[in-house]
Order: sequence, then structure tokens, then C-alpha cells
Amino acid sequence: MEEYRDTTGSKIGMWLFLLSEILLFGGLFILYSVYRFKNPSAFHLGAEELNRPFGAINTLILITSSLTMALSISSVKRGDRKWSLIFLMATLCLGFVFLGNKYFEWAGKIHHEIYPNSPRLLERDKGEILFYGLYYSMTGLHGLHVLIGLVVLFIMGALILKGKVNEAHFIPLENSGLYWHLVDIIWIFLFPLFYLIT
Amino acid sequence: MESERKSPVVKDRTYVLVWVGLVILTGITVSVAGMNLGRWSVSVVLIIAAIKSGLVLNYFMHLKYEKRIKLFKWMIPGILAVLILFLGLTFFDVAFR
Repeated sequence: MEEYRDTTGSKIGMWLFLLSEILLFGGLFILYSVYRFKNPSAFHLGAEELNRPFGAINTLILITSSLTMALSISSVKRGDRKWSLIFLMATLCLGFVFLGNKYFEWAGKIHHEIYPNSPRLLERDKGEILFYGLYYSMTGLHGLHVLIGLVVLFIMGALILKGKVNEAHFIPLENSGLYWHLVDIIWIFLFPLFYLIT
Repeated sequence: MESERKSPVVKDRTYVLVWVGLVILTGITVSVAGMNLGRWSVSVVLIIAAIKSGLVLNYFMHLKYEKRIKLFKWMIPGILAVLILFLGLTFFDVAFR
């Protein structure tokens, strides 16, 4: 007996979830734009203090991880589970490196006593306090998404290994890929908005 | 089962080309920020980010190839319309307060 699967339905379901994610981050982006509009110079000062090369490298890492994710899906569609796993592992490694960079970045800032409600930050201009509040909450929420993505991809790796995701049934991997790409898109906007204010 | 086989297979070469495009656009974003275009730099940087997202959505996320169902064509413009509406309303409030 063949199992019934509604492929189109599960894809639309995933997309609806992704749209709600866009609205979640969209609200924060609106908040960001209002505060930046009201405190342009403070946002500029805040962005100057962020590490631009770190942000740029993390952008390249996430873009590359999106490529390996797409290649992993196309490999499994061809029935090549070995390469699918290899590309998935590459995606996982790149995701870990991204989070590692984020960790060092945050640790550096916290070491300089710049974190929400820190005495040294509270001495500064109101706009800069807002900038760092948004910086921590938006990159933090994004980092949480990367972390969840890594867990999901890890599970997908196990499913491929067991043969439960294969050339006849790959929708779980495809949907996880959609999520991973969305997280990439959000970073594509976060990077210029926080690191490249002139 | 059958419908899963029908889903489009994009060539690996296409993916790699899209990746090259994304890397080049990232380079342009970083160098534009260094050029000090003043008030235009936000718009330039946002336009580049929108192009990059378009590449990811259309190729990596296959939106370009989802032709069977009309919903896929309208959902991104729809959600952007909602966001722009709320952005507009928020700024209308902030500007005339």
C-alpha cells in the first residue's frame, strides 16, 4: 500500500510559515527604520563600532551555505544520497562557523561592556542605546533561527542516512532548505542595515 | 509520490552562477558603503539587498519554477505590500506627531 502524501500542500504550508517569519522580522525592520529616521547620527556612530569585515565574511558564509543546501537537495533528487549528505554536512559546518563568528563578535562587544542595560551603554546618547538594543535583538533572533535551522538540518542528515529522505520522497529536505534560504535572506538585509550605515 | 518527481530540477551550474552573482553583489554593497554616497547610500544598499533576495527566492527557493499554483506568484508581492503599508502608516504617525 502506498502512503498518501500531499506534496503541494506541505510546500504551501511551509511557505505560509515563512511568510509569518517575514512579518515577524518585518515588524522589527519597521521599528529599526523609525528609530534610524529619528537618530541618524547615533546609528551612524553605532555602526562605525561594529566590525565590518566580520559582517561581510558572515554574509559570504551564509550565501555559500545556501548554495551547498541547494546542491544537497538537487543531489538527493538525482538519487545521489552520498553527495547530498556531503553538501548537507558542508551547510551544517558553515552554519556553525557563522554562529561561531557571531559569538566572537558579541563576546567582543560584551567585553567592552556594551550590552543592553550595561552602565557604560546607558551613559551614551539615547539613539546609540536604541541602536544596540536593536542590534542585539535582531541579530539575536536571527542567530536563534540559524541555531534552529542547524538542528533541523542535522535531523535531515539522519533521515537521509536512514534512507527515509530519498529520490522519491525529499519534501522534508526541500522544506528545510526553504527555511535555511529565508534565514539567509534576512541576513542579506541585516548586514547592510547594521554594519554599513554611512 | 508522483508529484514529488515532477518538481523541477534546476541545473547545478545555475546554482553556482547564482552564488557567483550573490558574491559579486555583496562585494558591490561593501564598496558602495565605502564610497560615501550620502543620503543615496541607504537606497543603493537596499536595492542591492532586494536584488540578492530576488535571486535567492527565484533560484534557490524555486519560486521562478512554481508555475502550477498562482499563489506562489503573488505571496511575496503580497507580503511586501502589507509591510510597506504598515511602514507607511507608521511613518505617517511619526512624522505628524
